[in-house]
Amino acid sequence: MNAPPTFESFLLFDGEKKITIEKDTKVPNAAIFTVNKEDHTLGNMITAQLRKDPQVLFAGYKNPHPLEHKFVLRVQTTSDYSPQEAITHAITDLISEFSLLEERFKEAVREKQEGDMI
Amino acid sequence: MNISEDTRTRVTLNEHGVDNVHSTDFPGEYPDFDDAWDFKKFKKNFRIDMIKMNDDELEFDMVGIDAAIANAFRRILLAEVPTMAIEKVHIYNNTSIIQDEVLAHRLGLIPIKADPRLFEYKSEGEDFSPEDTIIFQLKVKCTKNSQAKDTTDPDEMYKDHKVTTKHLKWIPMKGQDTIFKEGDLRPVNDDILIAKLRPGQEIDIRVFCNKGIGKDHAKFSPVATASYRLLPEIYLKSPVTGALAEKLQSCFSPGVIVIDTENGNKVARVANARKDTCSREVFRHDNLKDLVELKKVRDHFIFSVESTGILPPDILVEEAIKVLMKKCQDFILN
Repeated sequence: MNAPPTFESFLLFDGEKKITIEKDTKVPNAAIFTVNKEDHTLGNMITAQLRKDPQVLFAGYKNPHPLEHKFVLRVQTTSDYSPQEAITHAITDLISEFSLLEERFKEAVREKQEGDMI
Repeated sequence: MNISEDTRTRVTLNEHGVDNVHSTDFPGEYPDFDDAWDFKKFKKNFRIDMIKMNDDELEFDMVGIDAAIANAFRRILLAEVPTMAIEKVHIYNNTSIIQDEVLAHRLGLIPIKADPRLFEYKSEGEDFSPEDTIIFQLKVKCTKNSQAKDTTDPDEMYKDHKVTTKHLKWIPMKGQDTIFKEGDLRPVNDDILIAKLRPGQEIDIRVFCNKGIGKDHAKFSPVATASYRLLPEIYLKSPVTGALAEKLQSCFSPGVIVIDTENGNKVARVANARKDTCSREVFRHDNLKDLVELKKVRDHFIFSVESTGILPPDILVEEAIKVLMKKCQDFILN
């Protein structure tokens, strides 16, 4: 049996880093982020959020191979902004979206429960 | 609705395809819109409406959010919210006709009612501990029912010939009996058939449940289904009357189109587009296809979450939000 261990898709190997940043030397203000043990769930979400930023010129991700549990995210920004900043902003925005989502969801559940009691 | 507003916010269903499927509301895409992300704007437009909620089903509308987030959310529910499931099976005796490996696989798929939040993940290579493992015993022996006469019904002829999940008996590990009561840890359903026996056959098994996620194995998935669809919209471009109205009604799911009577005339009206399955049947009829417009609202997601019964669906959604939140926080920290 040569099946890879099942936890391979979500546990980092020893010494493996979650995120590595590499500068794209071909164009200014561009970087390639390699994120290990993550998939389309996070890749697509972050990419979509980055595109909502007017200072981001390019954002795209790929899953280089379906058996390798990682995605590669390329970000290019305007000159007065850096890809790292763009990512940080995108993630903080996402976190605030989720907080609101959680809050509104709990509210909706509570309203429904109260509505059902009457 | 003007054209750019339409391509921005609606998916159009045509006879031979679906148009404007992708989100295009990015900054710089439309000159008359400011599409940059802004929390205030998001807060104003975002809303959640609960449609249906009971012990194992949930339907809610999520409006004003990007498809990427809605999809991330769905994917997390399916594959990354943890549950407990049978992971190891020690077979001491199995003289039934079902093979050991098939039996072990069947056992693995049984939903175990145990709150996964109260357990830890078991680390590879370490022994089972009360913090990460639940043990059940399955010990059944089939016998002849001596009282049964003149019958061919196995239910009457034999005792214990059906091994079901109700035979799974919880064996508390050290200290677990102080935290959990009898009945706290059990299979969700008591009537899942595991194996069938005949007199003299027996099964003697110990199973070990661990915490895991759906990515690892589908048995850990906490939902039966978690899906979303977009809110359909149907427009009638001109009044549809008479026999045509009835034909129009039959093209859609029940309840979508109603027929009113005005001055003795039958007139079709869109009553509830939400119920439509978006089959596009209407475009197969030449006399109807130019009378209707079918669309979907791109940022109106109708979510449906069906739990396996381990956790109530509203808790599952809250857990999914937490998992997503944690993923994002880990990303920043690194």
